Amino acid sequence: MDELEEIKATFFQECDELLGDLEQGLLRMEEGATHGETVNAVFRAVHSIKGGAGAFGLDALVRYAHVFETLLDGVRSGKIEAVPDLVRALLRAADVLADQVTAARTGGESDAGETAAMVAELEAWTAGEGHAGGGDAAADDGEPDFKPISLAPAAAGGDDDDFGFKPMSISLDDFGAPPAAEAAEWTVVFKPATSLYAKANEAGLLLRELERLGPIQTQVNDEALPPFDDLDPEQAYLSWIVKVDGAVTEAAIQEVFEFVDGDCELKVTRGGGEDQAPDLAALIAASQAPEAAPEADAADDGATRVEALLAAAQASEPLPSLDAPAPEAPVVMDAPAVAEPEPEPEPEPVIEPMAVAEVAPPAAQDRPAAPVAVAKAQPAQAPARQGAGEPAAAQSTIRVDPERIDRLIDLVGELVINQAMLAQRVAEHGFAPSSSIVMGLDELEQLTRGIQDGVMAIRAQPVKSVFQRMPRLVREVAGMTGKPARLIMEGENTEVDKTVIERLSEPITHMLRNALDHGLESPEARRAAGKPAEGVVRLAALHRGGRIVIEVGDDGGGINRPKVRQIATDKGLIAADAVLTDEEVDNLIFLPGFSTASTVSDISGRGVGMDVVRRSVQALGGRISISSRPGEGSTFTLSLPLTLAVLDGMVVDVAGHTLVVPLSAIIESLRPKRDDVRPLGPQGAVLAVRETYVPIVDIGCVLGFRDAAIGPADGVVLLVESEDGGRAALVADAIQGQRQVVIKSLEANYKQVEGIAAATILGDGRVALIVDVDAVVGMRRREPAPARPADQTLYAAE
Amino acid sequence: MSELAPQLPPERRELIAFCIDDQEYCVDIMSVREIRGWSPATPLPQTPDYIRGVINLRGAVLPIMDLAERIGLPPTQPSVRSVIIVVKVGERLMGLLVDAVSDILTISEDVIQATPDVACDRVKAFVRGLISMEGRMISEIALERLLPDVESLAA
Repeated sequence: MDELEEIKATFFQECDELLGDLEQGLLRMEEGATHGETVNAVFRAVHSIKGGAGAFGLDALVRYAHVFETLLDGVRSGKIEAVPDLVRALLRAADVLADQVTAARTGGESDAGETAAMVAELEAWTAGEGHAGGGDAAADDGEPDFKPISLAPAAAGGDDDDFGFKPMSISLDDFGAPPAAEAAEWTVVFKPATSLYAKANEAGLLLRELERLGPIQTQVNDEALPPFDDLDPEQAYLSWIVKVDGAVTEAAIQEVFEFVDGDCELKVTRGGGEDQAPDLAALIAASQAPEAAPEADAADDGATRVEALLAAAQASEPLPSLDAPAPEAPVVMDAPAVAEPEPEPEPEPVIEPMAVAEVAPPAAQDRPAAPVAVAKAQPAQAPARQGAGEPAAAQSTIRVDPERIDRLIDLVGELVINQAMLAQRVAEHGFAPSSSIVMGLDELEQLTRGIQDGVMAIRAQPVKSVFQRMPRLVREVAGMTGKPARLIMEGENTEVDKTVIERLSEPITHMLRNALDHGLESPEARRAAGKPAEGVVRLAALHRGGRIVIEVGDDGGGINRPKVRQIATDKGLIAADAVLTDEEVDNLIFLPGFSTASTVSDISGRGVGMDVVRRSVQALGGRISISSRPGEGSTFTLSLPLTLAVLDGMVVDVAGHTLVVPLSAIIESLRPKRDDVRPLGPQGAVLAVRETYVPIVDIGCVLGFRDAAIGPADGVVLLVESEDGGRAALVADAIQGQRQVVIKSLEANYKQVEGIAAATILGDGRVALIVDVDAVVGMRRREPAPARPADQTLYAAE
Repeated sequence: MSELAPQLPPERRELIAFCIDDQEYCVDIMSVREIRGWSPATPLPQTPDYIRGVINLRGAVLPIMDLAERIGLPPTQPSVRSVIIVVKVGERLMGLLVDAVSDILTISEDVIQATPDVACDRVKAFVRGLISMEGRMISEIALERLLPDVESLAA
């Protein structure tokens, strides 16, 4: 039982991946890739979910996936055109499918009304083309395991039908032959491949099996048989044309050949005998049209292959007799994937098919066997090999319980600390740098670092897992706000540690909502401004300077600065006469209690907006900033460390305490001369750093480790950049060195401490605190500064 | 932990008693994770005086609280004889700095007396009740009230 649950859990994991693939594929379709491998991938994703769901008896999911799949099959075969409206419907259908999967996973109920509506919509799309072409014969030929007819009674009779699923009228009689041909006998063209015999199947037994269904007439075709001297006894050369009584169902005939699927060419048609010759001629002709063969190979089911061969045959030697008796001919003509056969039959048939048929090289040796070899290429492999320009084939991966990796990371963290302790002990004993112990320790350090990097790389994941949830969010919010919007995503494969990934989702969600709700104008306003009605929201991820940067941009109206100012003044956030730069005005939206939406909407704007985002980002050691151009839009930029587990830091002494300053914040460290410190006002001073003046912040004073600041010239200065791009000179007593430290949370056992980002354990086993640079710089301003009364008036606005 | 504890009738409890400033206090033994010697703590900025700082407890960062100062007594002067009692409060670990561990008591719930009204509010806030044992008065500390701000954060 547990084992089954485990397999089921794996299935749901796969479902997540498949749903991701599905959405990616649909988005590519939205961009115009409406045929070929993209559509196949989309179809396969839904098909795989349906298949797995069937194995676990998840009936509701199967039924829904089936309706979805049927429509996709129509799109895949080119019978239904993938117009933008359809793709959008498919995207929504994918959302509903995701809900269904979630419902199946949690054992809960999905929204029955929503599902029923979606089913109806999908069916309408399917029916919209419905009668054109030859129905779904292609799908049935290709997937003998999938029998629509067996579904109809089950669905009709089932009381467990929880979303009013109405079986589509796909009965086998509906497609294929017109009613007049109802009683016409079946013509079965059966051409075994060598592999059929290799797998110990026997053509004679199959024919005998066929005979049990009703009276048959059999005719053998030995045209392909080579002269006796050239004959390879292990090759298959013969094919059969069998007439089966018209009363037999096609499904029954297919069933006879069920176990040799893929090992033979099989064609079941209603009609008389005239088409036998064309059929065989087609097969042979196809082998002479090498261009058509790989084309057929790319298609992922047997039926399309056969049709492709037929199409190639038609193109190369048109046979008028083919059209009349063979009802599938129009389908073949419609299939766009096979509509470009080589017009001139190539005389040298062997080479090309052989290259395609790597799976069965022996079969490709002989001319007549070539199509067989092509047909042998397994469906799953064919698209993978043909998928140039599409995403790379799946890499081999292993699934590991994340807890195991976390444990490994903890252990490596301890190893790093231990190694540092060892190094410190050795240093205390005063070994010469060239001694073997010190050199050995250096090597150990390198190895430790290598292990750490390696382990962290295991846990690194592409941000895709977060990004792929966003298109749905955008669709839903766009629907709610009535502002059509398109999401462009970039850099989904940017990798970042799992600890960061898990916490990216919330700020991104919030920023996207904000972009749609507040950033984009209404369609009318957009048109008036000469922009397309549909807004564009851009979500991008990239690596920059050892951090991950997430950008959320919109092409809306930009920040309405006068309005923002007005609101901030009204709410008492700034003084009415405060002089602020544009940038400062933009940053007002991060203040707590600020909301620009005139009406509080459901989506965002409860006044907990951006300041919450900012705080949660800061808690991760990140920064958020905004840039905006009136009329052109705004971009929020979020920058986060790549991992929350380790950090490169500068270890400094401050008033007898050991502190770590994150290296990412430090621009440079310097030892200023006394006259670089320029007094400003009665008490204040700034530091001159190459023609620019930066405020001086004594870390010890801000953190309360000492009362009187030391002069920058008496210590060392770390020039840091804070989140808003402003610089500050942090004053410390001395620098101990640069070290990679393992981040330990203070919150786990205590709580967040202002000015302190986290803690770490140093080589001597003691805890050292990691400075939150932005907070320390910010705290300096708010300091009750009796020594600097000027500050109070300067910053009264805050 | 719980399966190792001796099977006591539900009303019987074991307590660890310790000294602060010549007074005796105790905590429930089920909250105690370990007892260790004093090692210098790294002070935290922006925290109340009774938080002495943090120490490294096998890779975890453990805050140390001076229990004496927390309940209004003069601050403890840590010495080599000082002891840190590591207790678990909710999901968090905390180290209590005390002068010395004195005893392990087994009592039944009914011998615990309510804190008399004469005690000041601060004492009443942190003392759950009084136990009289062989002429000694031992006060039971209400651990969950020691860090009220942490409690509200965890909620």
